[in-house]
Amino acid sequence: MRRTFTGLLPACALVTVFLLMPLLLLFRYSLNRFVPGEFMVDALTLENYEKFVDDPYYRGILQTTLVMSAVVTTACLLLGFPLATLLVRLNARWKPVVLLLIILPLFVGNAVRAAGWMVVLGQKGLLNTLLQAAGLPVATLMYTPVGVFIGIVSVNLPFVVLTLQSVLEGQDASVREAALGLGAGPAGTFRLVTLPLARAGVIAAATLCFILSMNAYATPILLGGPRFQMMAPMVATQVLDQSNWPFGAAVAFVLIAVTLVLTIATGAVFGRQRMP
Amino acid sequence: MSITRRGLGLGAAGLTLTARMRPARAAGQVVVGTWGGDYQDLQQTYVAAALLAPQGINVVYDTANDTVRKTKLMAERRLPHGSVDVQALTASGSYEMFQNGAIAALDIGRIPNAPHILPALRTAYAVPHIYTGRVILHNPKLIKAAPTSYADLWSPDNAGKVGVIDIQYQTTIESAAMIAGGSLSNYEPGKDKLLELKRLGVKVYPTNEAMAQALKNEEVGICIMWRARGVQWRNAGIPVEIVYPKEGVVLYISEQTIAKNARNQDSAYAYLNALLDPTAQAAFAKNFGYTPTVEGVTLPPEVEAQVSFPADVRKSFLVQDQAYLAKNDPQLQEWWNKVFKA
Repeated sequence: MRRTFTGLLPACALVTVFLLMPLLLLFRYSLNRFVPGEFMVDALTLENYEKFVDDPYYRGILQTTLVMSAVVTTACLLLGFPLATLLVRLNARWKPVVLLLIILPLFVGNAVRAAGWMVVLGQKGLLNTLLQAAGLPVATLMYTPVGVFIGIVSVNLPFVVLTLQSVLEGQDASVREAALGLGAGPAGTFRLVTLPLARAGVIAAATLCFILSMNAYATPILLGGPRFQMMAPMVATQVLDQSNWPFGAAVAFVLIAVTLVLTIATGAVFGRQRMP
Repeated sequence: MSITRRGLGLGAAGLTLTARMRPARAAGQVVVGTWGGDYQDLQQTYVAAALLAPQGINVVYDTANDTVRKTKLMAERRLPHGSVDVQALTASGSYEMFQNGAIAALDIGRIPNAPHILPALRTAYAVPHIYTGRVILHNPKLIKAAPTSYADLWSPDNAGKVGVIDIQYQTTIESAAMIAGGSLSNYEPGKDKLLELKRLGVKVYPTNEAMAQALKNEEVGICIMWRARGVQWRNAGIPVEIVYPKEGVVLYISEQTIAKNARNQDSAYAYLNALLDPTAQAAFAKNFGYTPTVEGVTLPPEVEAQVSFPADVRKSFLVQDQAYLAKNDPQLQEWWNKVFKA
């Protein structure tokens, strides 16, 4: 026991120094006051949090972030489950090829991927060129929420597929075969056997996807344009553009708190449900 | 090999001597906080390598956006020595930093090239490195009547053809204020004026680069922009003409300053002096499209034509009210985000 505790010490020290202490410092900043022309002035006030809660503009940005994250998470699960299932059932020859295709987008950073989507979704981009060639009307996707949705789904989907695949790989095929043999049918087998057995993986994938979406930064900026606002870019705007560290820190803590509460609540609700 | 007491003593003396020599090398170093990209590359080539290296001064860069570097300056201002000696800032940024005691009042006697600085650009705390002026860019194919005033962006004939840039919120509100009864010390009338433009169908682009693309694609035909950018875009084949607004040309000045707690004061002054050297100024004009800030810079005729301002335009030069901006910039950006872009 003592040896285990000693072994954990370096990791604990690293987390304390490089995660908790900066967070504590940031929390202290969130209680300071911003005075234009004087930057951050020492204070102990909750006015930055009050400003966020009282102002419908900032609440609206939080709402947009929550809705976008929920929709992206749902879409990633709906797209990711069939892909993960396919991956599990592929033979040893094709599985590495498809796996590589799924993780290939992770080889480039989010900003680069978003830049790639800009080329595809732009007014005179690849998609509209193809649409025009087919005699169809031009689609305006750049600087719209739909563009951001496409971008974030493309970023998060590999994480969801890989998480689900690892859980589905662990399922005993004979259980599914037994359900089919007993006349459950493919849909019934999926609903009564495959999905309940994969519940832990679904919750993990959804949680991962939701957290990544809540903190999306490059994609909303590059594909959402100036009028589309999400929380992480707003933290950067407050800190980097306005030098308003106290309010930027408060927005960051609101984002952390909301994400944490929703993640824990979702895990508690769905994690405790009994198998049908 | 055995280590004798004598050998150890000699070694220690040698180490002490080496250590004592190090400060002499450190005095020949300057840490410059600057924007990256072409701006830093040109500083390295035409200032650091061409002018300071022969003096034995090594230049190290702290590359970041100016807001990040301003925050660092503020955080370090009470320390005996900061991590950066010279900071490249906008005119607004250097004013803010001087007001907050983060940068030093300059000892002009230590900058031999300072007497040549154009009078309109002089301050007590910064050397103006390069400058340009705010103009109107338009594509004659889309904008039939050439504009003469910022008011022409509000012409119903140009509805749907006007673009503005998100990061240029301050200068856009300022331009609107200039035709709506406001001034460089009062941007408030510009807000209602901009809402008129919004109703006319203005397009908002996130960055200068996005605006360049929109002009190239003919999504928009007219915008407010810095003249140097207009020159760069014309050279890149974007079909725009440059017009000086009759309200006057407001200057954009990129300045360089010395941190109050700079460790390498002598090298920092040498750096500022080198920035004002006619050869460095000519290189920035040629390669960057900005105008020299000192008199006596000889430019090739084609560069001169691109970067110099006509005499009558020079008379209309306007300089922003930095005290007003320091107090009002946050609320201007908040209005822009909450009301104009909403």
